Amino acid sequence: MRRRGKSRWRTPAYAFVLPGLVVFTMVMVYPTVRALFISLHEWNIAPGAESPFVGLANYVKAVKDPVFWRSFQNGGIYMLVTVPLQIALGLVAALLLDAKLRGRTIFRTLIYIPVITSWVISSLLFRYLFGAGSGPINAFLVDVTGVISEPIAWLGSRWTALVAICALGVWKGVGWAMLIFLAALQAVPVELHEAAAVDGAGGWQRLRNVTLPSIRRTLTFVTVLSIIGGFNVFISVYLMTGGGPADQTQVPITYLYRQAFSFLDFGYGSAISFMLTVLVFGVATAQLWLSNRTESEGPA
Amino acid sequence: MRRSTTWRSLAVAAALLLALGACSGESDTGTEETTTSTQAATDEQPTTTTSTTTTAAAVEEQTIEFWHAFNAESSEVQVLEDQLIPQFEAEHPGVTVKAVSVPYGDLRQKLVTAVAGDQLPDVVRADIIWVPEFASLGVLEPLSELMPDFEQLAAAVYPGPLETNHWQDAYYGLPLSTNTRVYLSNPDVYANAGVDIPATQDDLRAIAPTLVDAGIAAFADNDLSGWNVLPWIWSAGGDIVDEAITTASGSINSPESIAGVSLLYDLYTMGAIPEMIVQGGMDPYEEGVATGQYASMMNGPWAYSILAGDYPDFELAPSLTPAGDGGSVSVVGGEDIVVTASSEHKEAAADFVRFMVSPEAQRALAEIGQMSVLSELGDAMVEIQPYYQTFVDQLATARPRPPTPAWPEIDQALKTRLQEAFVGDGDIEQALNDLAQEIDQILADS
Amino acid sequence: MTPHDQSTHWVRSFLLVLFAGVSIIPLVYMVLVSLKENAYLIPNPLKVLQGGLSLDNYATVWLDSEFPHYFLNSLVVAVATTAATVWLASMTAYGLARFDFPGKRLIEGLILLELAVPAIVLLIPQFLLAKDLHLLDKRLGLVFFYVGVNFAFITFLMIGFFRGVPRALDDAMMVDGASAWRRYWQLMVPLTWPAHATAAIFAFLGSWDEYVWALTIINDPSKRTLPVGVALFSGQHQVDWGLTFAASVVALAPVIAVFIAFQRQFVRGVMTGALRQ
Repeated sequence: MRRRGKSRWRTPAYAFVLPGLVVFTMVMVYPTVRALFISLHEWNIAPGAESPFVGLANYVKAVKDPVFWRSFQNGGIYMLVTVPLQIALGLVAALLLDAKLRGRTIFRTLIYIPVITSWVISSLLFRYLFGAGSGPINAFLVDVTGVISEPIAWLGSRWTALVAICALGVWKGVGWAMLIFLAALQAVPVELHEAAAVDGAGGWQRLRNVTLPSIRRTLTFVTVLSIIGGFNVFISVYLMTGGGPADQTQVPITYLYRQAFSFLDFGYGSAISFMLTVLVFGVATAQLWLSNRTESEGPA
Repeated sequence: MRRSTTWRSLAVAAALLLALGACSGESDTGTEETTTSTQAATDEQPTTTTSTTTTAAAVEEQTIEFWHAFNAESSEVQVLEDQLIPQFEAEHPGVTVKAVSVPYGDLRQKLVTAVAGDQLPDVVRADIIWVPEFASLGVLEPLSELMPDFEQLAAAVYPGPLETNHWQDAYYGLPLSTNTRVYLSNPDVYANAGVDIPATQDDLRAIAPTLVDAGIAAFADNDLSGWNVLPWIWSAGGDIVDEAITTASGSINSPESIAGVSLLYDLYTMGAIPEMIVQGGMDPYEEGVATGQYASMMNGPWAYSILAGDYPDFELAPSLTPAGDGGSVSVVGGEDIVVTASSEHKEAAADFVRFMVSPEAQRALAEIGQMSVLSELGDAMVEIQPYYQTFVDQLATARPRPPTPAWPEIDQALKTRLQEAFVGDGDIEQALNDLAQEIDQILADS
Repeated sequence: MTPHDQSTHWVRSFLLVLFAGVSIIPLVYMVLVSLKENAYLIPNPLKVLQGGLSLDNYATVWLDSEFPHYFLNSLVVAVATTAATVWLASMTAYGLARFDFPGKRLIEGLILLELAVPAIVLLIPQFLLAKDLHLLDKRLGLVFFYVGVNFAFITFLMIGFFRGVPRALDDAMMVDGASAWRRYWQLMVPLTWPAHATAAIFAFLGSWDEYVWALTIINDPSKRTLPVGVALFSGQHQVDWGLTFAASVVALAPVIAVFIAFQRQFVRGVMTGALRQ
């Protein structure tokens, strides 16, 4: 059917695609090109001031900067911890709430609340929770359950601080993943479930053989978006540790923000952000390619 | 049913267009004034001559945009909007002041973006540490050249705050409000422990073990940046950079500086300073003093307002920064008022600056907690709030953080190195030697 | 119910209560603190109920301050943004999911690429663009940029949903001679209503909650939006937590309302109906 003249397929396609793309190109693509331009200069923000062209010097500077590498490590760790947890918990929540349940709306809303609570307020509260000495988490671990004997200064060192930051990330992201999975679960035809039930498949088997394959595409998309979001973590780190102590908990965006807005080195800040972009784009593309390869001819 | 979907899509499109139309049907705000004019001279204000073309004395409408960080519902913004601005506008017919409040934490970011986009307002109430930086970018107007009476105005303010406006032989702003950190203590803690509030650094070192044994931290602070650490370094007789602000070697790694920082480190390791000092500056520490968890803290006058709500019966005992070989020297904070180079109403802006540093305006601001920069109002401050006395005394010798455009980088290097040393091997001398080299490099690059 | 069903039910309920409880603890804390006056110290959660509780903060927020005005600004901007974003993204996603044309790969790649670009690095270039377009200090400036910024994410999301709709249905309609537009409106959109509802929820939230751009381009207080208004309750040296949290709680209400309204669209059986035809 597609053979009958490519033009039949083109004109309507462009009509659909063009309006959105115009706005997108203006607001996103053009500024991105400008930012790339800035990264190739030692950029002076004063209007009319000279900004010497330095080629890839800012990129080389990043490669030689140990804090740059550490920030990417931390970003990667954050991503590797929060993404699977968010997705798993979000999927569980969506499955639990996919049934005809009394109070379904209420539960969905409550689980969604962290998503809409601002990062500023959530960071504040989590910093309080993980406070050194007598913060609630320490109180729970030391006094209530006696799991550890001394309170931990959570935000005072790299790994414990990352635990706190990741906890916030997961807490905030579960509802987001849940929402998308809920929408996807609606699209699984009831007949498939009924047919499987007729064949004698129990709840777990139906989950594995019917539900999960049907939402595979959504799973991929949620994973990709979560990975992107994970590498782009910013406010929570900024407000909980400021990237410290001693730059131990820097993540890419807190580091580039400091270069740009504290030190007014926008050339370097832009270079860091494009290196992040390349990494994230690479990971996302790899993820998409992998899932396309393993995808069998499913319902589509 | 099929036809209705077409209608639905048209309805959505129409709603969209209406919504966008409603949004766009607004006029620009009146900041794009293109007229320049002379001010109608009032009795009290000195007449100014301008270097731009002057027109006939007919008063033309001008609006000057003023960015500040007074928060909503605060007494500061009320005084500004209900008292000061109307008074200024009455004294300067034809001039309207449009005050824009910006959340304090984001004012710098908004200013930086505005610089890049050439969209700065006319007047800004800026943090003192930003002035040399923005001056070096060329976006501020040198008030020492714009205002003929600048020297008189400069003489009326405290020298420390004034210095924060200094950049390359000109002054790019005037101090608007000032504050400093003093030693604020819980008197009951000291009474119970049987020790006196330390007047010197040696005293502090001596009493710390007693307090630690009683389970109380001797001193609390929440960060290791210049704001926190410089009082200790200066009081010990050290410094961070030399007078010309060209090198740090010999200053930050001098024996006196090392001694000042080592005092903090020793207190930290013995448990006399809580963990939060290495945690980046977000943690509040006022309450700990009120509850007796901490014996003392270094803080500004706002500590009183913070505690007043929940601890109305508690009284902080203020005293000067513990003295060392350099005396009792604290750090100056506060805000400067600046005029931007891109302003199209510089004369009116200068008038507004003049007004805001006048004794009248300063007194009004002092009454709601903004300590005045005018030395003549020192006694009046104490009438307003008795506890201001200690702050006024401390201000006499308080020093600003080095006014250099490279300060953000220097501050970050200081903080990072000290954090590293405190949580690491504690080799303060090595850390400060390395820091000296790092700052030398920063200053050389700038 | 069989015993198996009953135990499943209990397990399900327990897990849900656990999820919900962990999710809302901060909100409960916010509401409790918002009922305290002059709370300049972050209250210890365990002691929040001590001392008087009052609705004074809400009165201040709603009656004394400019808050209602900011609320209205945010609402206008968010509704316009949501409508425009969902519509444009949906159409673009349809074009990309259902058609082949030159440049398609490039477009998909660009969309994914822009998702990978950190927003903050675009702030100044976008500011310069807004200045050239005369959109500074205008609510239209907010809408236009919010649409552009949220476009990639929403489109990406919807492509996934659209690709999940069987082509067989499209083909059936084409045999009947239906145009692409009709196939879009009468087949794809109804069948992917949950996707559109999800998109609307995210687009609304993306606009309602947005802080940095609103702070950057809006100077005129009369055009200020809610997140900046809430941030303005924080002082330089002290924060009135009760007031700030009261403002935040009020700001949450429309988002929750939008969520509840749209997630009711997640109703199973829409696909079923289509397959039966």
